[in-house]
Amino acid sequence: MSNEENVEPASLDPEAKAELDAAFEDLYRAHLRDVYSYAYYRVGNAHDAEDLTEQAFLQAYRHFDRARRESDGRPLRPWLIRIAHNLASNYYRDRSRRPQTSLENADPIVARHGTEAIAEGREELRQVIENLDRLPDDRREALIMRFALGMDNREIARAMGRSDGATKVLIHRAIKQLQEEMGRDPE
Amino acid sequence: MTPSESASWDVERLLGDALRPIDPPERLSGRVEDTLSAVTQAAAEELSSWAEELSESELRALRDPRNWVRPVFAVGAGGAAAGALVMLELRRRGRQQAKGGLRSLTGRVRP
Repeated sequence: MSNEENVEPASLDPEAKAELDAAFEDLYRAHLRDVYSYAYYRVGNAHDAEDLTEQAFLQAYRHFDRARRESDGRPLRPWLIRIAHNLASNYYRDRSRRPQTSLENADPIVARHGTEAIAEGREELRQVIENLDRLPDDRREALIMRFALGMDNREIARAMGRSDGATKVLIHRAIKQLQEEMGRDPE
Repeated sequence: MTPSESASWDVERLLGDALRPIDPPERLSGRVEDTLSAVTQAAAEELSSWAEELSESELRALRDPRNWVRPVFAVGAGGAAAGALVMLELRRRGRQQAKGGLRSLTGRVRP
């Protein structure tokens, strides 16, 4: 996206700027947890998830005016998650990193799910996360959006730049593959 | 519910447990807000100092839309506030010029 696309006469008006900032603040407060959760499950550690979240909101701020105009009143969460999604992809591509799955360190699981849940089903959680990490990227990302962020098919479709139908199929196949992988795993 | 559907439900339940939303650390909220403020302010200051350095001929040239590449880039980098600063600087210079023009006129008029 070029810088020129973000400029319009209204953006030069201080009142419009103040209104834009207030709207962005609302968006930020409403979706900080969504962006952080998505980032965390993509990169697998809190430090990089914080960096990615910060970068996502910086990019979002730069393009917010245009995104709002083009959204026609639709929720901007998919657009925000798409920014985080692209940044996470660049994160791996640029630094040639592999996702640091939570399986490499048990602490994040405990931190996220609490000791009670861990005691009840730690092995099951480990198993499902391990299999989730083995899924193709698009399937894993769709499941993160569905289950960690509670996004519906239409939102996920917008975030991933796919049709609603293709997204429905993607999620169905992701769950089916996971189910098969879980069935293969030794108890 | 078929056995297959039952197994599928189990996987979804497990996913729901495994992929719970994660609350961001408190420090992150302040950090993002600070960064956004810093970026906006830095761009605004840079643009402000740049606008101060402009000569009158450069300001005249700036009113020509064909020469708007630099301010447009600055707006992209710093948001709308930076763009507003360009306009404010142009208006401020315009007002000063008008005053200066009057002063120079009255200075030349001798009783």
